[in-house]
Amino acid sequence: MDSIAGTRSQLVWVVNISVIFLVVLWIVPTGGLLVSSFRDRDQIAVSGWWTSMLSSEANVRIRSEAPDTQVDENGIYVISGNVFGDESGEVIAFGTSSRAPTAYLPGEHGEMSKGRTMVVEANGDYRIESPEPHSGSRGSRIFFRTIEPPRFTLENYEKVIFAERLGQSFLNTFAVTIPATVIPILVAAFAAYALAWMEFPGRAILIAAVVGLLVVPLQLAFIPLLKLHNSIGIGKEYLGIWLAHTGFGLPLAIYLLRNYIAGLPREIIESARVDGATDFDIFRRIVLPLSFPALASFAIFQFLWVWNDLLVATVFLGNNEQQLVMTGRLRELLGSRGGDWEILAASAFVSIAVPLVVFFSLQRFLVRGLLSGSVKGG
Amino acid sequence: MEQVLMAVATILVGVFGCVLYFYLSNQVLDAIFPGRGPNAGRNINTASAIRPWLFMGPAILLLSVYLVYPVFNSLWLSFHDATGDNFVGVDNYVWLFGDEKFLESFRNNMMWLVVVPAASTGFGLLAAALTDRIRWGNFAKSLIFMPMAISFVGASVIWKFIYDYRGEGVTEIGLLNAIAVALSGVAKGWITIEPLNSFLLMVVLIWIQTGFAMVILSAALRGIPEETIEAAVIDGASPLQIFFRIKVPQIWGTIAVVWTTITILVLKVFDIVLAMTNGQWGTQVLANLMFDWMFRGSDSGRASTVALVIMVLVTPIMIWNIRNARREMQ
Amino acid sequence: MKLSRISALLAAVAMAGGAQAQDLLFPPGEDDRFNWSSYEELKSMDLAGETISVFGPWLQTDKEFVENTIDYFEAATGAVVEYSGSDSFEQQIMIDAEAGSPPNIAVFPQPGLANNMAARGYLSPLGEETAEWVRNNYAAGQSWVDLGSYQNPDGETELYGFFYKVDVKSLVWYVPENFEDAGYEVPETMEELIALSDQIVADGETPWCIGLGSGGATGWPATDWVEDLLLRTQPPDVYDGWVSNEVKFDDERILSAIDLFGDFARNEDYVAGGAAAVASTDFRDSPQGLFSSPPQCYMHRQASFIPGFFPSDVEVGVDADFFYFPAFEGLDLGRPVLGAGTLFAITKDSPAARAFIDFLKSPIAHEVWMAQKGFLTPHMHVNVDTYSDHTLKSMGEILLNATTFRFDGSDLMPGAVGAGAFWTGMVDYTGGTEASDVAASIQATWDTL
Repeated sequence: MDSIAGTRSQLVWVVNISVIFLVVLWIVPTGGLLVSSFRDRDQIAVSGWWTSMLSSEANVRIRSEAPDTQVDENGIYVISGNVFGDESGEVIAFGTSSRAPTAYLPGEHGEMSKGRTMVVEANGDYRIESPEPHSGSRGSRIFFRTIEPPRFTLENYEKVIFAERLGQSFLNTFAVTIPATVIPILVAAFAAYALAWMEFPGRAILIAAVVGLLVVPLQLAFIPLLKLHNSIGIGKEYLGIWLAHTGFGLPLAIYLLRNYIAGLPREIIESARVDGATDFDIFRRIVLPLSFPALASFAIFQFLWVWNDLLVATVFLGNNEQQLVMTGRLRELLGSRGGDWEILAASAFVSIAVPLVVFFSLQRFLVRGLLSGSVKGG
Repeated sequence: MEQVLMAVATILVGVFGCVLYFYLSNQVLDAIFPGRGPNAGRNINTASAIRPWLFMGPAILLLSVYLVYPVFNSLWLSFHDATGDNFVGVDNYVWLFGDEKFLESFRNNMMWLVVVPAASTGFGLLAAALTDRIRWGNFAKSLIFMPMAISFVGASVIWKFIYDYRGEGVTEIGLLNAIAVALSGVAKGWITIEPLNSFLLMVVLIWIQTGFAMVILSAALRGIPEETIEAAVIDGASPLQIFFRIKVPQIWGTIAVVWTTITILVLKVFDIVLAMTNGQWGTQVLANLMFDWMFRGSDSGRASTVALVIMVLVTPIMIWNIRNARREMQ
Repeated sequence: MKLSRISALLAAVAMAGGAQAQDLLFPPGEDDRFNWSSYEELKSMDLAGETISVFGPWLQTDKEFVENTIDYFEAATGAVVEYSGSDSFEQQIMIDAEAGSPPNIAVFPQPGLANNMAARGYLSPLGEETAEWVRNNYAAGQSWVDLGSYQNPDGETELYGFFYKVDVKSLVWYVPENFEDAGYEVPETMEELIALSDQIVADGETPWCIGLGSGGATGWPATDWVEDLLLRTQPPDVYDGWVSNEVKFDDERILSAIDLFGDFARNEDYVAGGAAAVASTDFRDSPQGLFSSPPQCYMHRQASFIPGFFPSDVEVGVDADFFYFPAFEGLDLGRPVLGAGTLFAITKDSPAARAFIDFLKSPIAHEVWMAQKGFLTPHMHVNVDTYSDHTLKSMGEILLNATTFRFDGSDLMPGAVGAGAFWTGMVDYTGGTEASDVAASIQATWDTL
């Protein structure tokens, strides 16, 4: 007995560690995006996100105060200030030229052009001395090496969350997503039931056709379908995009649901038929409640797909101010040439929130509790 | 406020319209052919001949318009030139089979078809089986599921931070290169190395699709009747034996469904390749080749031809599914 | 009673949509750099109640700028203009045009697609009057007319595209103070530029940052290099022949331009990170090397829009500047300039859409955007003092002083080449494939079209 208990607890350990390993493997990439969403663009472009959590030595370049702040100290013209501005820090080394940004130690005298010298102290105080008055309108560049503490910002999220008219786009997305999730489920569930439990000619062909239609690339359908929508007067309205998403989502819905419904125990359905229940009753009272796991899992995927979709929305709904969906609005923040990865990162996490809530709330339906009960009972 | 009302109203109209159709059409059918009275027997037979079509009506209509019609449209286009105005016979097909990029895409797609569905289903099954046994399983599941919830654009940025290469002497911002530098001291331009780069792109899709496989398979695993497992436990079967001999055979149908779905997705997916390499460095795949010809080359004839090849590739899966369906019905 | 109420309501809606004179960015009449009389002239068009939809590629800041500019049209004429932007403009405009729901006006980021759509009959010709206007009022007017003229389905050539907002590509960006620190001078000729590059290498530093990465468009920055170098090694008619494929891609002259690019990009000593990093470094990240400490590179050849990707504390004109990508002194080819631009075309004709094109001819339409950011114009009758900074102004001068102006060739080639095989080919070339092999495969793609 002991040895069995021993292997069992060992097994629990193995399982836990494997899951931890798997989970870490899966979230590290996303973690990179999450960390990046709290950094500004300049940081993202020059250092790895994993280094951002630690203090690191870095070379920094700033500009000294402008010449108009110079003070005449007995014939020596001085510009002074602190390289850290109002904050504090420690200078490890400094330089006067881009060629040798760390040539001098704090307190040493750095040579500059035109006989000027620069001193930077460890606390960041700098002093540029010149025998002649400083000229020009801008300060000199000061290069120094310092230990940079981790630096994070909420600016990216501010930009995304307070983007103009994001609220309206959020509502538009719901107006697209909810019907575009519920309608295909209803339509597919009925069809799946018919394909699984009703006898009629051509059933196998229809099942095969559904599988075949899974592979039709959406891009092919855009032009003929939009033409159709325009000609029958749907135009670019919600009805059109619901129908489009429903059409595109149906094959997967029917395929998944049919497979699940066909796996329901034959006895339940047969006995209901014997009791005189019509197919509509059987569907409503028995099949629908029993199929919750499949319905919920398809609902999750269809919801995600529609939520994250931009292509279908821009084609069938258009992208004027009143109709723009959230993905479109967030895309606008990236600018004409893209590449604002910090905004992209923040918006990815803003838009992931709702799908995750949906996943959490539907997760409990993924268990086929009802069915095992009814099998036992029957 | 007005907008909220509008949104709610449109949602209600859409959803309830749909429910109403199924309810009313069945009511009407039952009213016309009542299952009682003098012709009860005949009525029931007529009604049950019609009812499947009532059930499937909306689905068939939508599928025909949104998917079947475009397929025939592209079949027609594939025999026409770039603008779709002039008939060119089989020119597009002749071009296709002589095109280097097509052959490259075809080869790559074959690799994708082998690797991605197998790996995603495998990892998904593993994740489903393991997370069902631990207390924080639901939490672990949602973490593995998360990549599914991130859009493809988001995903491509995520992996940019993994595969990025800056060159010698420059601080690397890609995680893979940071690891490579730590281990061997040399950073590499990962996504430019053939044929490794194709596999690196596949990793992205596997990473995304494992969540899908996990959710579906986990539902199936939990649906396995307790009795069968209890019996095996009493017989002294080890957990591994229970998993492979008892559980896996029982959800075999679901595994096939997941495998099929991901296989088909692999044929269709182009976003990852488009966003990360656009088919450079020998990573082209069919779906992206089609997208290229459709929107960059604006040649609907060639795009449709590539699309038809994609659709033909799915035939073996269709045949296999018909067989399965036939077997079930017996 | 009822009717008047509805019309009052409509008027109110129109007012809400259209811009009011008081919320214009630069109040009319105040700043005398602007040509306000051209604004007053716009008021002769009464378009109250008209709506014009404009669809283009501009997002975020560019969108803001264009909307600020359009406000003047709305305020002067009473029309309502709905601008919407998309990053997948090229795909959507085609889908919309084919499906029969195009906007009134489309803003094409490059002529190739407009050419294509004109050939299918989706664009309305702008007319000889507009062509004449462009000829007379744009610097190198005829070339802008030619770039905007395409064959219609009947094979006749007409003007379809009106150029507005131009980018100059022949620019080299650098940090003046880094040059000062190292004692380098801005090169005036290509010979000097190459000598400077060698000098930088001799000093133990790296001269260039080059990045070709651009997600789905990876490779395009290299096409600009090749085009610029072709214009500097061959007379413009070779360039024109190349763009129309009369000069084949694998022609000796084209190959030598590609190899000249290779002298920069495939030279381990010349590029930051080494030649292997060129193809995969994102073009938006690659200018960062100019500003690191110590600098990873000293020069970066890129178009006028690139300051948008400089670190946020960099002030253009102070911390960074540009010089003209020079021509060879030894070859007498003048000062060629490579550029690109967006063109407006009418996709759904209406009198208001025509009026909008007329608006684009007025100096005020140019000056308002010049006074914002990122806008260059070949319009000769605008006040160059309205450019918001001296960097833009000197770019504008490069444009106006060009002895040869040529449009980005890859934008003029068929999409499958200019946005496909050419990109792929250049990526392969930087990866080490021979120029002749690359060119032969690009030419092969072209031959199948």
